[in-house]
Amino acid sequence: MTTSPALRALIVDDEELARRLIREYLQGHADIEVVGECENGLDAVRQIGALAPDLVFLDIQMPRLTGLEVLELTGRRAGVIFTTAYDEHAIKAFELHAVDYLLKPFSRARFDAALARARALHAPAQDAPALDALVARRSAPLERILIRDREQVHVIPVEQVECIEAQGDYLAIHVDGKCHLKPQRISEIEEQLDATRFLRVHRSFIISLAHLQAIERPGPDRHAARLRSGKRVPISRSGYDKLRTRV
Amino acid sequence: MHPILADPRKLLWYVLAWLVAGAGIAALLRLNEQAGWMGALGFALPLCLVWSFVALSSYYVCRSLSWSQRRWPVALALFGGASLLAALAWLGLGEAWNAVGRLVLHEQPFVAMTAPGWVMYFAAGFALYLLALLAHDVLVAFETVQDAARREAESRVLARDAELQMLRTQINPHFLFNSLNSISALTGFDPAAAREMTVDLAQFFRRTLALAERERITLGEEVVLSEHFLAIEKRRFGNRLRAELRISPAAAECLLPPMTLQPLLENAIKHGIRQLDGGGTVTVDALVRDGWLHIAVVNPVGPPEPSAGGHGVGLKNIRERLAVLYGPRARIAWQRSDTRFTIEINLPVDTEAPA
Repeated sequence: MTTSPALRALIVDDEELARRLIREYLQGHADIEVVGECENGLDAVRQIGALAPDLVFLDIQMPRLTGLEVLELTGRRAGVIFTTAYDEHAIKAFELHAVDYLLKPFSRARFDAALARARALHAPAQDAPALDALVARRSAPLERILIRDREQVHVIPVEQVECIEAQGDYLAIHVDGKCHLKPQRISEIEEQLDATRFLRVHRSFIISLAHLQAIERPGPDRHAARLRSGKRVPISRSGYDKLRTRV
Repeated sequence: MHPILADPRKLLWYVLAWLVAGAGIAALLRLNEQAGWMGALGFALPLCLVWSFVALSSYYVCRSLSWSQRRWPVALALFGGASLLAALAWLGLGEAWNAVGRLVLHEQPFVAMTAPGWVMYFAAGFALYLLALLAHDVLVAFETVQDAARREAESRVLARDAELQMLRTQINPHFLFNSLNSISALTGFDPAAAREMTVDLAQFFRRTLALAERERITLGEEVVLSEHFLAIEKRRFGNRLRAELRISPAAAECLLPPMTLQPLLENAIKHGIRQLDGGGTVTVDALVRDGWLHIAVVNPVGPPEPSAGGHGVGLKNIRERLAVLYGPRARIAWQRSDTRFTIEINLPVDTEAPA
């Protein structure tokens, strides 16, 4: 929490003129101080972490990472005003979760209204459930998995993922012999992944069907999946039934 | 492949029909007292079974003479000649089978055919093959008509897709709303630039609407349209976007379908320049050589984007549009290296006839 009376704002948009317009609209608001500008999603992830701004103006369609992916990676759930020119999916999601957003081009009056709303909500985390739902829910199956490793962001295409293992509060995502940790529940990522390409074969394992090489029987009534890399993953009884209908 | 051979059910019915015909022939032979019942059937049924397959060859005879290029004397000669040859073969086959019968049945042939009997038999062979030819001819004509209808429907669908694609380009909402947002920003600190951008936007849409109605425009016209587009995008992306257009005067005169170059530039910006922090330069080279118009669009790209599947769709659309208009004579190819994306289009040169 900031102790200064002013709200510290970060502007994220890959078009300079769009950032400039927001700056101009903000000039009429003495209680808001612009602490930074970002041109792309990766930069936004870093700046949100480093500056901890009270308010983020966040464009949806950006190179590298989209606005929603920035939220996913930073875990930020409050003090966000989305801006977008046109994105049917995002707008549908905003409407569904009653999240405020600005449609470009927007008027000063509309901007002021969004700002007033954000100010009223500035006391702790009220937007959180709505934004949580917005980030978790996706209209299309996941195409890439984002992992934040201190200051680095890894973008992993799902087709490279061999298997995902639940380890406590984390997911271990196995890719090319490497293993990345991401704080997420396995049931949540199971819902987001394309069900035709990934299968939950065990309480704590999801495998990629494209990486599946063979099903082994190490003992009576026990099964294991051997993946292309040679890695073996246990299969539960119900997982085996599911797998049998698919391969 | 022959449609009857390709379908076992049809083949079964077809062979059955021939066996019935064989029974008919046997009955005729019996009635004319050329043979007993057993001999007549033993003679006619195997022959008809073999002949049913021989008659299928008439399909290819019919196919060799397409309806549209048919001259009747030629057709008559071919049909008559083919039937005559077939009837001779039919006669030979009959004699041979009868001889086999004589060997197997101890000096007694299937049929003890008289000379007029053989003449009748020969005439029947001629008539059967001619009938098969005529029936197949109707079948082939029917197929041709269906084929033409299907092709026409296909090309109509493609043409409509192209039109829809064009409409979508004309009113790409992303482009339009972002441009308006830029104008909105410019009015605050650079009204003159805002006005220029408004004019560019208006010109771009006006030209797109006018050109899209025509089947083909000159490359020069497309370049003017593209320059308006680039002017707008340069305002949006600032000095991150640079463009070099090198269009030879001869190339500018060439005709091509409208909205061929502009979508390529849009792709280059969306998937290339915009993804790079420092931006980059899109280059367009167009020249005429040996009766071909060559257009190459090159843009820098970043490392492969996991979810950027969009590139291929737009390009495939252009490829289909060119294929509909030029057939195999148009060539469009693209390739991606680590740092560059290149698209090359080759079209046969076509210019407006001098008035």
